Amino acid sequence: MSISSPKPALEGLRILDLSQVAAGPYATMFLGFMGAEVIKIESLSRMDINRGKARPGPDDLRVYPNGDPGERPWNRTAHHVHRNINKQSLTIDLATDQGRELLLDLVKVCDVLVENYRGSVMDRLGLGYDVVSSQNPQLIYLKISSQGATGPEANYGSLGSTLEQTGGLASITGYEDGLPLLTNLVYPDPVVGILSFGALMTALRSRLKTGKGCLVDLSQREVTTMLLGESILDFSVTGRIAVTMENLHRDMSPHGVYPCLGEDMWVAIAVGTEDEWRGLCMALGDLELASDNRFCDNESRHANQNELDAIIALWTIEQDHYEAMHRLQSHGVPSAPVLNGNEVITDPHLESRGFWDVVDHPETGPYKQVTTPWLLSKSPRGIPRPAPGLGEHNHQLLTELLGLSEHEIADLITNGITGEIPKE
Amino acid sequence: MDNLLSDINVLDLSQGVSGPFCAKLLAGWGADVIKVEPPYTGDPCRSSKPFFQTIDHSQASALFSYINTSKKSVTLDPFVPSHAQAIMKLAQNCDVLIESFPPGYLTACGLGYSDIADSCHDLVYVSVTPFGQTGPYSAYKGSDLIAQAAGALMYTIGLPDRPPLKVGGEAALYTTGISAFSATTMAIYVKDTQGFGQHVDISAMEVMAVSQLYSSIYAQFGRPLARRGSNLVRAKDGWVSPGLETGVQESTWLKVCELIEKPELVNDSRFITQESRRANQDALLVVISDWAVRKPKEEIYHTLQSLRTITGYVATVEDLLMSQQFVDREFFKLVGGESLPNTIQPGAPYRIADNSWEISQAPRLGEHNEEILCQGLGYSMTELGLEVS
Repeated sequence: MSISSPKPALEGLRILDLSQVAAGPYATMFLGFMGAEVIKIESLSRMDINRGKARPGPDDLRVYPNGDPGERPWNRTAHHVHRNINKQSLTIDLATDQGRELLLDLVKVCDVLVENYRGSVMDRLGLGYDVVSSQNPQLIYLKISSQGATGPEANYGSLGSTLEQTGGLASITGYEDGLPLLTNLVYPDPVVGILSFGALMTALRSRLKTGKGCLVDLSQREVTTMLLGESILDFSVTGRIAVTMENLHRDMSPHGVYPCLGEDMWVAIAVGTEDEWRGLCMALGDLELASDNRFCDNESRHANQNELDAIIALWTIEQDHYEAMHRLQSHGVPSAPVLNGNEVITDPHLESRGFWDVVDHPETGPYKQVTTPWLLSKSPRGIPRPAPGLGEHNHQLLTELLGLSEHEIADLITNGITGEIPKE
Repeated sequence: MDNLLSDINVLDLSQGVSGPFCAKLLAGWGADVIKVEPPYTGDPCRSSKPFFQTIDHSQASALFSYINTSKKSVTLDPFVPSHAQAIMKLAQNCDVLIESFPPGYLTACGLGYSDIADSCHDLVYVSVTPFGQTGPYSAYKGSDLIAQAAGALMYTIGLPDRPPLKVGGEAALYTTGISAFSATTMAIYVKDTQGFGQHVDISAMEVMAVSQLYSSIYAQFGRPLARRGSNLVRAKDGWVSPGLETGVQESTWLKVCELIEKPELVNDSRFITQESRRANQDALLVVISDWAVRKPKEEIYHTLQSLRTITGYVATVEDLLMSQQFVDREFFKLVGGESLPNTIQPGAPYRIADNSWEISQAPRLGEHNEEILCQGLGYSMTELGLEVS
């Protein structure tokens, strides 16, 4: 079958997005990229914390373009602009009866509800799965919680940084001294965002077959623990407890990062086979190394990796990190420069694959946006729509989706249930 | 039994961690997965540490045992023409094909996307590689470390005066497999709703560039991220992040002062508001540390969480298996072994209605040759040059 103009993968799907912070918003960002209509719900008194404060003080930690909060700081924080791309913004105060009714009306015209509140919040708002699914039995409710919908810790709170701990990842991340370290990039959050997307795809498929919606119960801690599978199996059989091992690897050697020309510049090298080891010796132009008994097989290289690292570093320190990668890879050695946030947006490989979207946000000007962790040959991602200003789509959504009159909308604004200016 | 993907057939030609992990997730939701491995040597992952003590060395890897559950194994080499033909036959009966060869390799074997899609237009063909199918690095080799380096993840992890540090284990490769799973299930949904298959291109570097949650945007907005230490403090038996230096409500702070038996702190101007606690967080951490070092980490975790404080404790793999939360949710599954020991494994990545997660022991090398190649396709082992083991 050939197709003339490709349709977006998720065209026609409408997502009611109550999520905030990182994991949920990342999932809905991907949904938006693939053509779903995403309606982001916030209230004027409780914006997505990604938006920061309505009036940030001088010590505020949020990141604004060039440090300038501007006139509407809540519409231009780095986190908001980056994670809430491809969404429409609707403000509703869910703590009011009128707001709650509006949400229940929205549920009737949406396919999916996504939320990542503390476990009990939606029930407390009178918007738990039983309530919303009775409004729309075809609704898929994606509940992304810290610990899952059940169990003694179901109502515990977490951040990506605490999930790294409670999910076990911190216990195997660190230098060789055994001190656990955190990623500072809340690593579980993007992982949960990416998996949530697939969870939703399987739920949509289930709805195609059964005609019924369902609850998807996703525990962020469980997802994090999945990343330690082999260490869990190993412990369950041998009793060995996995520990931090810097950048060393159980199988590969040499394996680590090596200093290059320039300040804080590094190249990563991972040698797993004898061919790759010989390639490394060739790349270094050091053929004696290849016949050095201290490094003659994987076991010896593991045992003597400190000495080997020093020899490799003597070569890398004279190299540009990109040049080092190209030379090593031309000899079949897995390697890459350790890129920083400025370098990765100009990397020629990502550039040639069209990974970054250049987005001209009305509040921040053009910037390079993370896109999707996949490329589909016949379902391309859509043209990005900049992250919305708070309440930017109130009027459109309230009239078109809910059929409210101008008068009714004016009342909602007067009563503080919707609007565009956050409350202090 | 009807499960989310029980009508989906998958041919898994991939090796290592990422592609096979994607296939494992599909198998867990009921897809029928045939894993194709190189004859005699098998997936190199079979020789990856850590190892169990087993009689059959190809079954000894904990890593392999984890990421190949609920699959069948056949041994075929796509480079051998008769084997390529058998792979083509298997592919024609499949909904999804997953592969992880260097870009172009399977095309040279007559098994590239267009070779198969010509006759199976609704096939979802998933390529999982270090750098993707196109672009200047597409032929380059990768690994977990390489992906974390190239995707700008590890630059900001670790301490300022030490080298960049990777997230432990095979986290980047698992995340790449999860990305492949999400993309594959999306392509299956598109096949169901729009009637065509397609080529899915997964690059580990791009998965990491997506996972550096804000390094690239912070750099562009003028505040580049740097490596920094953690806020973990020592408990009696490990490490915790009490989470008190930020975000604690005023009313909670009173209870915390009581809890740590320092009522006088309520009037300490350094800690009197949320802002001042944030501004004086180093001093606060010292106060908290004095208390925490005398308490077990999980006691601190539960006590502070009960005050609605976002607290963490560093769980080891042993702690994970003991976690009452995991026990209560039956997250871990006991996977019975025939030729290898019983193992405890993470179970469902999420729960959907009454669908149940399927998990059975990873296959022996070529365990299903007879069933799939001989009974299914009508080959003889000799014809394929495969000895019956």
